[in-house]
Amino acid sequence: MQLKDQFRFVRQNMKKNKTRVFMTILATAMGCAFLIVLASVGFGLQKSVVKEITEQRVITQIDVHGKELNDQDGFRPLNETDIQLFEKVKDVKAVTRRKMLQQESTYIIGNYQESAQTYVTNFASEVKAGFELSEGRLPKGKDEIVVGYNFSLNLASKDAPGDIYDKKGQIKAEYRYSGKLIGQKLELTVRQNKDGKQVEKTIPLTVVGITKKPTREWAEDRTVFIADEMLTEIENFTGTPKGLLLDENSEVPAEFKAQDNSYDEVKIYAKNMEAVQSISDKLTEKKYGTYSVVNELKEVNMVFMIAKAGLIFIGTIAILIASIGIYNTMTMAVTERAPDIGIMKAIGANPKTIKRIFLLESSYIGLIGALIGTVVSYGISYTVNFAIPLIIKQAFGKETQIDLIFSDIPLILPLICIVICFGVTIISGFRPAQRATKVDVLKAMRREV
Amino acid sequence: MITIKKLSHDFVIGKKGRQTIIPVLRDINLTVGQGEIVTIVGRSGSGKSTLLNLVSGFIHPKEGEIWVKEEKVSDLNETKFADFRIKNLGFIFQSFQLIPSMTAFQNVELPLILKGINDRERKKKTEEMLKKVGLLEYQDHYPGELSGGQQQRVSIARALIVNPPIILADEPTGSLDSETEAELLKFIKELNRDLGITFLIITHDDKVAEIGHRTIELRDGLIVEEVASLCN
Ligand SMILES: Nc1ncnc2c1ncn2[C@@H]1O[C@H](COP(=O)(O)OP(=O)(O)O)[C@@H](O)[C@H]1O
Ligand SMILES: [Mg+2]
Repeated sequence: MQLKDQFRFVRQNMKKNKTRVFMTILATAMGCAFLIVLASVGFGLQKSVVKEITEQRVITQIDVHGKELNDQDGFRPLNETDIQLFEKVKDVKAVTRRKMLQQESTYIIGNYQESAQTYVTNFASEVKAGFELSEGRLPKGKDEIVVGYNFSLNLASKDAPGDIYDKKGQIKAEYRYSGKLIGQKLELTVRQNKDGKQVEKTIPLTVVGITKKPTREWAEDRTVFIADEMLTEIENFTGTPKGLLLDENSEVPAEFKAQDNSYDEVKIYAKNMEAVQSISDKLTEKKYGTYSVVNELKEVNMVFMIAKAGLIFIGTIAILIASIGIYNTMTMAVTERAPDIGIMKAIGANPKTIKRIFLLESSYIGLIGALIGTVVSYGISYTVNFAIPLIIKQAFGKETQIDLIFSDIPLILPLICIVICFGVTIISGFRPAQRATKVDVLKAMRREV
Repeated sequence: MITIKKLSHDFVIGKKGRQTIIPVLRDINLTVGQGEIVTIVGRSGSGKSTLLNLVSGFIHPKEGEIWVKEEKVSDLNETKFADFRIKNLGFIFQSFQLIPSMTAFQNVELPLILKGINDRERKKKTEEMLKKVGLLEYQDHYPGELSGGQQQRVSIARALIVNPPIILADEPTGSLDSETEAELLKFIKELNRDLGITFLIITHDDKVAEIGHRTIELRDGLIVEEVASLCN
């Protein structure tokens, strides 16, 4: 019997009891939609979390926060020797290292002031890692500095009244410094407690460059990079490494520790994403404490993998329940059609063919159910993604975090669902199909019409 | 064409422990030659249908052998018998056994579908066959919309469509009036004469029995008489 004819038989048979077939398809579709929508939440949240992680940071970046001490707990800070070692590791593109001024530093331009984080960095490695300026040039002299892209946004007028911030939390334009920055002279004030009283020192500096705009919209770059020699000068004033501000009552320590030339922020940039893993493996082997997005993603993905498997499992139960309907429908179909099956067998229909027709019918029901379920679940998914932020906004009066995806249906999900559904329907249709082949010809033909 | 050797059959009824054995056929030996019409007569309950069902393969014999066209069909399994049946055997039943949800055309076409013949050839052959039995204009009627005689002609068309060398008929005229019966008998004789089809016909009707080249009487599961028909 040709496959085409088998399909025709199946369609004719299904037409004989449209309502029953429809209800069975409906149940299967609901089971599938349930599975897909349920699992889609897992996929959606994973996507959101992964997006969040990868947007916060550069994916090829590895943070190294220290080297494990042999016999004690804890890490020691990294120094030049470590950096040289990192630079030799395979597939490392750049190693940036920054020292941070260990006190709040205030910058003043005329009547405007701002406190910012102050760093010393190795610009050559920063540039290799992708550092760029939007204006000006890199510093050459001791008193030249580069400021962050958003530095001027926070330069506020000294004699502004109490509330200088607007609704978005930014300084109102009328109190903000609006002049140009490049070539501008400004003053950095550093402090130290000496003999129980605070002394200040102002250092004149010149802005020569502004960093490029941060890629993330919400990010604000207001760092200031000063020259290495300038940090030494500050250290000489404070008498502490990296300008550490001492307590009011404590003395400047006797041993001057400026030679503690350790870095506060060391980041390794890998040539590509694939290399991140091997680099961080190598560093871990050498007892360096590292952190990278790739590591975190691996853990996050693992957790979501388990969660998604669980959700799919729960969804499968819904399909299994639907399969009882398929079993029922097929059993009834076999019973109803027993006389026809008997006649077909009498004139020479092969039992295998009869079985195939019934299996075809149950898998057809399963497949249509799965397809309808898939279409419906895409609809539900879109609605959910559209409606939930609105509901949250209504309920809490504020917007949700930037594009949180509640439900995401990657192509693999309907495929998984269709495979599960197909398998389940074949299994549930198997017994009825088997029964169809066992129909007794004589018993079936004995009906008198 | 058909050879039956030492065939015995009985039915076991009742649940385990309280079974009763109903002996139906005992030591049947029968040969039907090619192109022969053999009729089997006997009282109701004498085992005629059982004999035919054994030859058709609808039941499996307890003892003895059945050979059809040099094939020992009593040894065939269900699947193999199905293939053998569609190639070699045509059936005519007392209650026609048409599929009620299919039109006359579809009923006649069914064996060709089962054989896997393509659409175009099927349509041609089916129309030819319906024409032969004089029902071409009724091809879209469902069995319920046809008279008994017409239904029986549809079932004959269905039996003939695969050109079987043998046709087995169990009380073919049992549901027909005497006029249609006469028509059917004439048609059977024509088929036998023109196409050389072998017939094994079961009946308790003398008029039907008469068309046989040979008539065999069954009584209590035994062949009691073999009479050469006088009408030929
Ligand atoms: N499936 C069956 N189970 C039990 N007994 C049966 C069965 N089929 C037929 N019989 C018995 O076998 C005997 C012969 O039946 P059957 O061959 O139908 O006779 P006939 O066709 O000559 O009227 C009867 O006594 C009947 O009761
Ligand atoms: Mg009978």
